[in-house]
Amino acid sequence: MQPNQWVMAVIVGLPFLAAALTPLVYRLLGERTAYASAAVAAVSFGLVGWFATTGARGLVSWTWIDAPGFEVALSFYVDGLSLLIGFLASGIGVLILTYSGGYMHEEPGKMKFYATLLAFMGSMLGVAFAADLVVLFVFWELTSISSFILIGHYTGESSSRYAARKSMLITVAGGLFMLLGFLLLAGEGGTFQLLGTEQALFAQAESLREGLRADGLFVPALVLIGIGAAAKSAQVPLHIWLPNAMEAPTPVSAFLHSATMVKAGVYLVGRLRPLLASEEWQLLFVAMGLVTMTVAAILAVGASDIKELLAYSTASHLGLIIAGFGVVGGGASAYGAETGSFHILNHAAFKAALFLVAGIIAHEAGSRLIDDLGGLWRDLPIAAGVTVVAALGMAGVPPFNGFYSKEFLFEATYELAHASGGLWWILPAVAVFGSVFTFLYSIRFLMLFFGEKPDALGHVHTPPWSMRLPAVALAVVAGIIGLGGITATAGVHIGPLEEFVRQVVGATAIDQGGEHGAHFSYYLPTEPTVPVLMSATTIGLGAVAYPFYDQLRDVVRRLRSVSLLSANWYYDSVVEGLDRSRAVESTIQTGQLRTYALVLLLAVSVMTLLAYATAAVGLPAFGSVASPIPMVIVLGVAVVAAFAVTRAPSHIAGVLTLSILGFMVAIFYILGDAPDLALTQLLIETLVLVLFLLVLDKLPPFYGEARRWVLARDAVASAVVGVTVFLTVLVTTAASPASRISNFFLERGGVPAEHGTWILDYGGGANIVNVILVDFRAFDTLGEISVIAMAALSVITLVAMRERGEKQ
Amino acid sequence: MTENEPTVIARTVVRIVVPIILVTAVALLLQGHNAPGGGFIGGVLTAVAFALIYVIYGLDYVETEILDRTALPRALPGEPVEDESAQRPGVTKEFSEVLAIGLALAAGSGIVAIALGYPFLSQAVAFVEGIPLFHEIEVASALAFDLGVYFVVVGGLLTVIAVVGAE
Repeated sequence: MQPNQWVMAVIVGLPFLAAALTPLVYRLLGERTAYASAAVAAVSFGLVGWFATTGARGLVSWTWIDAPGFEVALSFYVDGLSLLIGFLASGIGVLILTYSGGYMHEEPGKMKFYATLLAFMGSMLGVAFAADLVVLFVFWELTSISSFILIGHYTGESSSRYAARKSMLITVAGGLFMLLGFLLLAGEGGTFQLLGTEQALFAQAESLREGLRADGLFVPALVLIGIGAAAKSAQVPLHIWLPNAMEAPTPVSAFLHSATMVKAGVYLVGRLRPLLASEEWQLLFVAMGLVTMTVAAILAVGASDIKELLAYSTASHLGLIIAGFGVVGGGASAYGAETGSFHILNHAAFKAALFLVAGIIAHEAGSRLIDDLGGLWRDLPIAAGVTVVAALGMAGVPPFNGFYSKEFLFEATYELAHASGGLWWILPAVAVFGSVFTFLYSIRFLMLFFGEKPDALGHVHTPPWSMRLPAVALAVVAGIIGLGGITATAGVHIGPLEEFVRQVVGATAIDQGGEHGAHFSYYLPTEPTVPVLMSATTIGLGAVAYPFYDQLRDVVRRLRSVSLLSANWYYDSVVEGLDRSRAVESTIQTGQLRTYALVLLLAVSVMTLLAYATAAVGLPAFGSVASPIPMVIVLGVAVVAAFAVTRAPSHIAGVLTLSILGFMVAIFYILGDAPDLALTQLLIETLVLVLFLLVLDKLPPFYGEARRWVLARDAVASAVVGVTVFLTVLVTTAASPASRISNFFLERGGVPAEHGTWILDYGGGANIVNVILVDFRAFDTLGEISVIAMAALSVITLVAMRERGEKQ
Repeated sequence: MTENEPTVIARTVVRIVVPIILVTAVALLLQGHNAPGGGFIGGVLTAVAFALIYVIYGLDYVETEILDRTALPRALPGEPVEDESAQRPGVTKEFSEVLAIGLALAAGSGIVAIALGYPFLSQAVAFVEGIPLFHEIEVASALAFDLGVYFVVVGGLLTVIAVVGAE
């Protein structure tokens, strides 16, 4: 069934509309805006669910420009993968917005917060459903921008600003790389349409890959898109923005950095997997994913703050997902798709729950430092229950949800190594090695709730229900997924869940519509296979190493403090290096109009001249310059006046001679049969003259002595500008099209000989200039008067409100 | 304008000339459809008239004598007045209103066309017959648009002159 167009529009559009209306709503509802926003998210969630349950799949498209070869359409595509991300963005959105109602109680800037959060959710839904590379890119960057605002929520704190800037620089820069990659794809495929039509890139995946390879562009395109995905999904070494992003309020951390925004990168990898799957794809993403998984897990062990721990852990799990999607060969392709698809769901459930728990701890215990916390289960029993389910899921302990998807990864790496042999055997080893650290930090987080309660920890309040319920809801989801494995072993499958994941797998499977997705099911292993042994090794090693957690942590911290090993150090050095550009600002940003005018005019002139040179335009021949004598005289006077301006000893003389020049031009127009132009020129000239009178007595009577090089510079600049304008006039008037457009205006402008009472097709005026202005090209005129209005407004802003701005 | 008091000649000339200019401006606006003129030119000419008043009579004159408002306190629209005696020349609110009205008129005349089922900014010409003396009068809907242009130009230029001139 085709998805309903308007339902799609509501899913993506409603959050943006709600974001725009938030200031109004906030004025009406105040604190309760959170619940209104949650209701908006619930509508989107419900509609995504409606798509999912009614089996609406396929393309939704609004065509904007339909010229051949230049199709521009806003198109969305509904399939398993987009529904999954859509569910995450809107569903976790509901929970997060509800949670914010409790969490943001005493925080500043709530109006901006809710508006941006809604806009972010809309952008994420747009990313999930986009079926066009351009649409995808636009929504992708919108998530970067809205997350920039959210991370920098506490605008007064420098660490918050640093974090926001960092995430912006990395994710937006990554997005630009991705854009280049998209352009390569679109250039080869001849369309930006990703999927859903017969010409779409997916429909020609095979020939697209071959074409790119033939041009030597396959690897560049892959790497460019990979950089974009890596930046967004915090893959090593671009992971560094994620821990800093924890400066944001906890609901934001939970939403953006566990469930949604960072999922954009893995989503992209999953989405493009069928399109670009190849040897190179496997090498790039498996390596990137496993390295990230391991490095980030190790860094998480070294974390001292619970949110920092969760942030590194997020990067680590995203690495796992990417590694899963990376596996495409050696008969392990299906396992790869299953790893990625299933772990997106699992990770979102347990990580969002853990972030909410972290928020509760920080809010109620007043500390986020791991060493200061312990034995919290007495005060926060519900949070403790949530954490048991979520943290054991994160650790990959059976029968909790994370276990199953990790099994798929083990299976995928093992199968791949088994089929390819040689160096590929590193993969299962690295997977196990990284998982040990995952186990360690997960248990460490769990132990916040158990053991002795430190004396320094004061009274821990009970959080409001608006904060507890969302966490519980997520834990229940994670728990149900885990339970599904147990019941499946007994032969009872959770049908809808498995069916849904099957569709996600189907969307990421290389053989589109093949049988890969059809077999998805998960269950507790009943016999010792290799992946089971790998899991057992992981948990065993982790259990042995856990007593030495503190020593391990110190080793990690010592390694981390070596600047050459830290990606942060490189980032900071580069940004600081760029910051030196301030040295230039004293020569460019002088605050003087003449500097800006000089730069602007010269740049425009040089570019225009270069364009003429490259286009090799020919100048018209100067054959027939036949000017009547009056015109020559008038122009002669104008030239004399122009020289007189430069020689004028005072401002008054200068202004008057300049007016002579202007009036001569006006007379020239009269001689050239252009009364309208002449009238305008005369009036403007008069107005300028009067205006000069207004300011003349405020100016110093004489020009100052200009320095010689300044004069030379200005002379050169004015000569260049003059030559450019002269050439432009020559070039533009040289062309004379066969059918002149003026004929159309002349025929239609006046009143026709036979006229009825109403005439629409004719201008009905004798003054053709005016008829063109107000009738045939009235839209132009409307634009021009808008410019006048804007100029007036900017003058008010620039001049009159100057002091006002400084006061604020 | 304070240190150089304008001469009686200048004041008298402005007094006589400004009404003539204004009438000419309106004439230019109305005849624009069939003869040189139009909204833009008419608007500029009107602005010239006001600029003359500014030059000869000073910036406050327009506000106090023509718009019948107290010149002080001078504040921007919406700006809280902090210091009553602050001699900061303001922007006359009426100018920005003229600007807004003009823009609304121009865009509105286009929207009327949409309401009647024609493309945006379609213009029509109607002939009213049987008028004594004239026999037939041509009414162009473009005049409404031109009027919008006129108001925008007047409002825009006067705003700029008032703000910049006050500096």
